[in-house]
Amino acid sequence: MSNGLVLRLWEEWFWPVLAAGIFISFWYFSVKWSGSKVFPSPLDVGAGISELATKGLLWRYVLDSLRRVGEGYVSAIALAIPSGLLLGWYPVAAAVVNPTIQILRPISPIAWIPVSIVLFGVGDMAAVFLIFLASFFPVAVATMNGVRNVPSMYRRAGRNFGLSPSKLIARVVFPAALPQIIVGLRIALGVAWLVVVAAEMIAVDSGLGYLVIDSRNSGKRYDLVVAAMILIGLAGLGLDSAFRRIEKMKSVRWGFRNEF
Amino acid sequence: MNSRNRITLLIVTWTVLVSGLHAYLNINWPAIINDYLPQEKRKFTVAYIPVTCHLACPVTDYISKFSKAGEIFLPKMFQGFPEIKEALISNRVQAAFIVAPLAIALKAQGVPIRVVYLGHRYGSAVVVRKDGPIKTFADMRGRVIAIPSRFSDERLILFRAMKVFGIKPKEIKMVEMAPPDVAGALAAGAIDAFSMGEPFPSQAEMGGFGRVLFNAREYWPDYMSCVLVVRQDMIDQSPDAVQVLVDGIARSGLWLEKGKPYREDAADFVGRYYFNQNPALLRWALTKPLDRVMYSPLAPRKADFDLVRDLMIETGVLDQKIEFEDYVDLRFADHASIRTAWAYEPGGAQAQ
Repeated sequence: MSNGLVLRLWEEWFWPVLAAGIFISFWYFSVKWSGSKVFPSPLDVGAGISELATKGLLWRYVLDSLRRVGEGYVSAIALAIPSGLLLGWYPVAAAVVNPTIQILRPISPIAWIPVSIVLFGVGDMAAVFLIFLASFFPVAVATMNGVRNVPSMYRRAGRNFGLSPSKLIARVVFPAALPQIIVGLRIALGVAWLVVVAAEMIAVDSGLGYLVIDSRNSGKRYDLVVAAMILIGLAGLGLDSAFRRIEKMKSVRWGFRNEF
Repeated sequence: MNSRNRITLLIVTWTVLVSGLHAYLNINWPAIINDYLPQEKRKFTVAYIPVTCHLACPVTDYISKFSKAGEIFLPKMFQGFPEIKEALISNRVQAAFIVAPLAIALKAQGVPIRVVYLGHRYGSAVVVRKDGPIKTFADMRGRVIAIPSRFSDERLILFRAMKVFGIKPKEIKMVEMAPPDVAGALAAGAIDAFSMGEPFPSQAEMGGFGRVLFNAREYWPDYMSCVLVVRQDMIDQSPDAVQVLVDGIARSGLWLEKGKPYREDAADFVGRYYFNQNPALLRWALTKPLDRVMYSPLAPRKADFDLVRDLMIETGVLDQKIEFEDYVDLRFADHASIRTAWAYEPGGAQAQ
């Protein structure tokens, strides 16, 4: 910790749980005191979640969403990292393609929904395609910039050791660019999780996004809507902390020039 | 000018410009002013979506503006039923045109509303792709069909047809879609069929990519779909205003039944000023043939609603046998029965 404050082991759990508890009780009492007949209290939402669990929908929906994110995300990475490496390695290619990428990049994947339904119909593929789009650009751009920022000293040293260009990329440039790539990967995962929820609201009939829209369509069931929102948050938290674990692995940290 | 002043000036100019343009272009001032009027002068906001099932709403608004008493309520257009439901629950609108099963389900779930009148009769159809694989309803097995809501008569009509053809519920996949999206989805091949209110069947017919497989009345002789619901607090606080609203809708219904020229005029002004649809499309939906959608008689009938309720229970979207008297308030319809059509001629500037 930069400010010298060190949490003891029990505190690492205690304070976050306390904060969440305060938030939930604030929620509970606001619902109670405002006398809202529409917005559910935490107890209603808890009952909603257990209703989903007993119906067997809970895990199915969470896993469906995770699977879609996995498919789109992995295929995006498989394409984005090589193309990012190439573009970073050949600045001329980057100069040619970059303006197009910069135009495509700020288009929200949600805006692609009509196009993806036309291309892939209503179904899994449409949703996976949106996640692919959402993950591709952050990773490709981060990889490209990462490769560009590798100090030329590294490359020259590699060449002096007689590495062939392909080995130089695999053994020196890629690891050196990895810190920036990882930032891109993490951003992409966050965006992919945002997008899967939106995509599932339209294209498919399972998953957490579908749960939100399905609960909305079933009349006054805002307990289920909020339950779905909380599940989305929890699953997103799970994804992010899993990613942090990977980030901390030794082999990944090779390229971190400044320990932070 | 130093850079800080320049930035401040820029921000202030931008904010003023954007707010000014927003106020000028986007804000519906009558609706905002209405919120601050005293209770007895405040007007209802009535929600509708751009389907002919709700046509009487904009027709009443348009014609009443030419009458001495002036406009009766503030119409507010939505694009789908979930949004209307939310606006109704949270009292952003006090009355709404919604599908009858949704009204029953909301009342059963404890939302304080009452059905006071019908919006129309007939006017829903099941549409398939023109050159697609579905020739008769029996081909519907394993297909994807769009419906406006799980609480809709458009869904129930499918179940009635399925019974005739011996198709089991699991053999057809129904997806809920906002009505304005279905024609495009059918053209793009994202769905195999849809069951919707007009003018979307007409849109698919006019566009040349859709074919009406059957009209609702073929499997449901007294078909009705959308109803006018009003919040209970409005009924209790200002029953007279509710009566004026129902009278207006009743008079519009009779006016729409006066003949083809009247319907063509309605298609024209509703398409232009309300639904933002091609008037030719509405003309098609309202006149080919004239009884494609009917706007009279609109008084709620117990037998119709019992049928809807029982079908809802049977198909698993309602879990209690709620009684007609619990969710319908007949007194407004009873009073409205003495009303006559608006005295308004197409293109005229006066109405009575």
